[in-house]
Amino acid sequence: MKLRKIPHGVHPNLLYPSYKSTNERAPRLPAVALEPAAAELSGPHFERTLLYPNHDDMTRQTGGMPLGERIIVTGRVLDENGDPLPDTLIELWQCNASGRYHHEMDQHDAPLDPNFRGFGRVMTDANGRYRFTTVKPGAYPWRNHPNAWRPAHIHYSVFGKTMLERLITQMYFPGDPLLGYDPIFNSVPTDRARERMIAHFDLETTQPEFALGYHFDVVLRGPEATPENR
Amino acid sequence: MAELLITPSQTIGPFFKEGMELPQGDTLFPESVPGRRIRVAGIVTDGLGQPVSDALLEFWQPDAAGRFGGPRQGSSAGFGRVLTSKDGRYSIRTILPGTVPAADGNLQAPHILVVIFARGLLRQLVTRVYFDGEALNATDPALARCGARAATLVAKRDGADAYAWNISLQGTNETVFFEA
Repeated sequence: MKLRKIPHGVHPNLLYPSYKSTNERAPRLPAVALEPAAAELSGPHFERTLLYPNHDDMTRQTGGMPLGERIIVTGRVLDENGDPLPDTLIELWQCNASGRYHHEMDQHDAPLDPNFRGFGRVMTDANGRYRFTTVKPGAYPWRNHPNAWRPAHIHYSVFGKTMLERLITQMYFPGDPLLGYDPIFNSVPTDRARERMIAHFDLETTQPEFALGYHFDVVLRGPEATPENR
Repeated sequence: MAELLITPSQTIGPFFKEGMELPQGDTLFPESVPGRRIRVAGIVTDGLGQPVSDALLEFWQPDAAGRFGGPRQGSSAGFGRVLTSKDGRYSIRTILPGTVPAADGNLQAPHILVVIFARGLLRQLVTRVYFDGEALNATDPALARCGARAATLVAKRDGADAYAWNISLQGTNETVFFEA
């Protein structure tokens, strides 16, 4: 198997000076080209035993209901050829509706919600589909630059079939006025690629009297098409 | 043929801890798997020489016979995931990987694939750790591509069954990262 080359204009450059942490963490020497071998072209499988109670519903992981706007997010994990990836692990984490993470290093002066931890884990079904319920995360300030605020986002960690497909990204919400000011979002070089990270409002997933629905597909690197398998 | 644009990478940020912890993530193989048991440990530093206390490291390797993906509770044997500590340190328990061929059929030296995520990394870094004293290091095709910097990928012996391997994200002795 051979994976397609990553197209230009999709992933951020490692050094993106307006996101300050890149200045001392991005490697300065060029990456060395590697001919992928067995380790790169394989990867771990995950079992449903990793799915803890209410793994797919962040609103039901404690005794009570968290504050905030309840949402349902659905979508598919696909490769760039459009083929769905079944039984793929997605790990999720986010801040609460007030913009505070359940994390010891988050010192933002916004309330923690005793009913919200903000961690989820789902696996795609046979058609590559996933679904989870949560509350919409809030915006929060960070110290990257004066008056810096992160747009609302949910962190996604996704495994494909091989370690080279591995992806960690963030899902953003449509119409968020903070997107234009966010160096992490704008580290992605093209409009088309940035739009890939924005969920769509989805009336079909929206449940009356219960929760708004959003749709978000994740697309991973895929194998080069060959005459035999196309 | 459908062709979709891949989803861009974004940083893991600083707040992933509980969301990304895996049970026994530092132990790559169950006790029953045969092989030479080793420990690999070290420190991750940034361009200022400061420890990186919020990195996530993932490891993927074959067993001693060169086979990938045997059974293990919840996931595959040979996979590991650890978070660096407050002082930037990590440690895994594994077995010395077996040899597997490169794309051209020649044997590669034993190595573990390592993927690094951290705040300030807008996409993951991909590297490999090799082991000091392995004869195949001299002819490994990936090490050969690294020239004088190949030494940054070779873990040093640190006792009978332990190896020390530090990761320098930037600057002095910057670790080789691969593009594949």
